[in-house]
Amino acid sequence: MKISVDTGKCVSSGQCVLLAPETFDQNEDDGTVVLLADEPPAGERDAARQAELTCPAAAIRLAEA
Amino acid sequence: MTTTEETPRLPFARADALAIAPDYEALRRQAPVSRVLTPAGDPAWLVTSFEEAKEIFRDKRFGRSHPAPEQASRISHAAIQDGPSGDFDTEEQEHKRMRRMLAPAFSAPRMRALGDRIEELTTRCLDDMRAAHDAHPGEPVNLTELLAFPLPVLVICELLGVPFDDREHFRNLSERIAVMDGGADAQAAMTEFKDYMTGLADAKRANPQADVISDMVAVQADDPTFTDDDLARMGAGLLFAGHETTSTRIAMGVLFLLTDTARRDRFAADPEGEVNQTVEEILRMTATSGTGLLRYAHEDVEVAGTRIMRGDAVLISSDAANRDAAAFADPDEFDPGRTPNVHLAFGTGAHVCIGANLARTELRTVFPALFRAFPQMRLAVGLDDIAVRVNRVAGGVDRVPVTW
Repeated sequence: MKISVDTGKCVSSGQCVLLAPETFDQNEDDGTVVLLADEPPAGERDAARQAELTCPAAAIRLAEA
Repeated sequence: MTTTEETPRLPFARADALAIAPDYEALRRQAPVSRVLTPAGDPAWLVTSFEEAKEIFRDKRFGRSHPAPEQASRISHAAIQDGPSGDFDTEEQEHKRMRRMLAPAFSAPRMRALGDRIEELTTRCLDDMRAAHDAHPGEPVNLTELLAFPLPVLVICELLGVPFDDREHFRNLSERIAVMDGGADAQAAMTEFKDYMTGLADAKRANPQADVISDMVAVQADDPTFTDDDLARMGAGLLFAGHETTSTRIAMGVLFLLTDTARRDRFAADPEGEVNQTVEEILRMTATSGTGLLRYAHEDVEVAGTRIMRGDAVLISSDAANRDAAAFADPDEFDPGRTPNVHLAFGTGAHVCIGANLARTELRTVFPALFRAFPQMRLAVGLDDIAVRVNRVAGGVDRVPVTW
């Protein structure tokens, strides 16, 4: 499962970080998404999928490897 | 709704605090977007389906400002969510500035850092509940007064830098600005609320602290177009939004968990394991204001075959969208097991609730702590005895009497 993020679209809601804290983080200055791993850790696959679906800006993409 | 010929008028009646009005589903069966009258009696479009709600939330052709504000449909006679806000020409730019200014304070890392403090404040509220119970054994404890209201207020006060001792003052102002037929009194309360925030901003200007009002004051020093009035309005808005909404979710979450003993026991048996999904389900199912979130079309837009004209008011009912059977199986069933649970409780798109992470952090803290402290807690009255506030922008219930 490969993840990509589009920081240009990101609205800094941070919902992904609370859902999958080992996969996503937020930039301290403007709150935009920071990708911690190209692939979610095993325990965060469902959470990462939920983050993709709930991202308010549709800035997260998951692709099955 | 009385007859099919009449245009239905908001808010719709519902059976009890946990239900939503059946009128939403009746309208959705006819079309995703319906013609309604607002509580103020003006025409508006009501969006009841999940897909169209999501689409409009994310569509930049809808905003909170109006091309000709004096002609805009009014929603209510409250002093918030009552009509257009902001300037039609600069809304997007202003909104971006606001998000940039506030995003760091509400970011997930800040919320994680705040987590321990929220835990402490929760413990303090639970101690107050226990003390009230011990002082009058056998009498119900009002959870709204001792937990659902004070906890979010304590938290937002810390985050914004507002003295908790002023709570009776701004609670009164928060209530008055949100009365849907409040009229002149709602406007007077908003003026008073802004004066209060201006006073706090002056104090932070002289003595800055690590809080959001100080952050706003610092932004203003660099950007004089961010006026005192803008700052006061935003501060009042954050203080209002920061406690009314979360307070409602705590009270309603307890109702959802206590109205079914098996559901309560399942949660109490493994609060840490159940909490995230339970919180999402509480967020999905909690019915709030009865009007939905307000937008105005900034140009002519076609949505699901309906032509919405520039300037038309659009009310997006997250309550209805979150119970749309096209998006959620058995939508009226409380099922923490649903995954994924992609609801619209915080809206979506560029205007998504900036406090979503704060709300989630509070809710994920409060429910496990509450059911660890009082695993045998039960409602002291029937669900039918829990009065729903119908005349308030944020909805909610007045009291949740519990015992254990």
